[in-house]
Amino acid sequence: MSKSKLILDLAVSMGEELLKNGAEIYRVQETVEHVMEAYGAEEYNVFVLTNGIFATIHENREDAGSIVRNVPIGSVNLKKIAVINQISREICQGSCSIQEAKKRLEQCRKTSVMPKRALIPACGIGSAGFCYLLGGHPFDSLFSFFLGMLLQWFLLVAEERHVSKFLTDILGSAMVTILGLVLYVLGLNIQFDRVIIGGIILLMPGVALVTAIRDLFNGDYLSGGIRLMDALLTGMCIAIGVGAAIKTFQLLGGGTLPL
Amino acid sequence: MIVEIIVAMISVLAFGVSFHIPKSEYLYCALNGGIGWAVYRISLNCGFGPTASALWAALVLTLAARVLSAVRKMPSTVFLIAGIFSLVPGSGIYYTSYYIIMNELSRGSAKGIETFKVAGAIVLGIIFGLALPQNWFNYLGRITEKGQKGRRKIRPDVQEKENFSDD
Repeated sequence: MSKSKLILDLAVSMGEELLKNGAEIYRVQETVEHVMEAYGAEEYNVFVLTNGIFATIHENREDAGSIVRNVPIGSVNLKKIAVINQISREICQGSCSIQEAKKRLEQCRKTSVMPKRALIPACGIGSAGFCYLLGGHPFDSLFSFFLGMLLQWFLLVAEERHVSKFLTDILGSAMVTILGLVLYVLGLNIQFDRVIIGGIILLMPGVALVTAIRDLFNGDYLSGGIRLMDALLTGMCIAIGVGAAIKTFQLLGGGTLPL
Repeated sequence: MIVEIIVAMISVLAFGVSFHIPKSEYLYCALNGGIGWAVYRISLNCGFGPTASALWAALVLTLAARVLSAVRKMPSTVFLIAGIFSLVPGSGIYYTSYYIIMNELSRGSAKGIETFKVAGAIVLGIIFGLALPQNWFNYLGRITEKGQKGRRKIRPDVQEKENFSDD
């Protein structure tokens, strides 16, 4: 492979990893450009969208190269963003060769993931905390804790099986709502609304919203629009899941349940 | 309220783990979450509505995230995403769908509009926070670096170019 292709491949791979893990468009774009420039590319073009990267290098020369990558919207991993940011910083200081950068990128791809046994209790604690913050009693938080853990487990399973995102959101929120209502109907003295809100808080599109805004106000309207749509649809899916579950309970109880 | 702030810090930290925040930044993310919630509560206590409070909290959070990003040499997203999580109107989405299902349409639409208002306020807060020029924050980053001799000047964020071709 000629050197220009190596540079292009490394730069776009770094950009791809950033984009996949939820970085803003300008960060991806600038990282790719900086890396190419640092390795001495003289002429390059990069175009980044929320779900794709297009790049060319040395278009008018013998060693021309171009890459198009399709990058599906994935889950957020801030550690990978931080690590790649660090790599690109070192590349720009000239203290990191192409091979070394490639190796570190590969390493970052493999290792920078939290183990599941840490994720599940973390989500439980977060759910319990938000249940309390949103007006729940500590007793309610206890149930939110279990619902949050269950939801995270469900999300992990769904991710493994490649279930569509919308279906995951609808089923996840419906599951939490049903369990919350079951606990309530069983006669536990809980504020079921707080318990459910705490339970579904992990699904909330907060991250998508923030990234969408940052993209929009950096002038990447198309990418920001895609993310904003993603955030709105996720919110709608949650509402559908919650609504369907409550309605089902209402019908089952024949209007006798004090929901 | 102190208890609430501590709970907010813990839960923000917990969700930080879900978003794979680097271990070295846990403390700062929790701090940012605590700041956000504290501003939100104080603003509510001062008589602002939930929308205005969310605006203030998002603004302060964004500024704090940018300061932290300059000082810690991390992308500001790391702190921003973790901090903003405590403000997202999760209960709004729930109550909107609940009231609509219960056929209380007027309450449902009122909640729905309120949810949009809060989301919009968060958006505005972040925008105001991001609008300040990056140089101010770079300056902060440089002040904190003076103590650490022998360290090279590095850019706090990919964003600023000059700083970065400097070295």
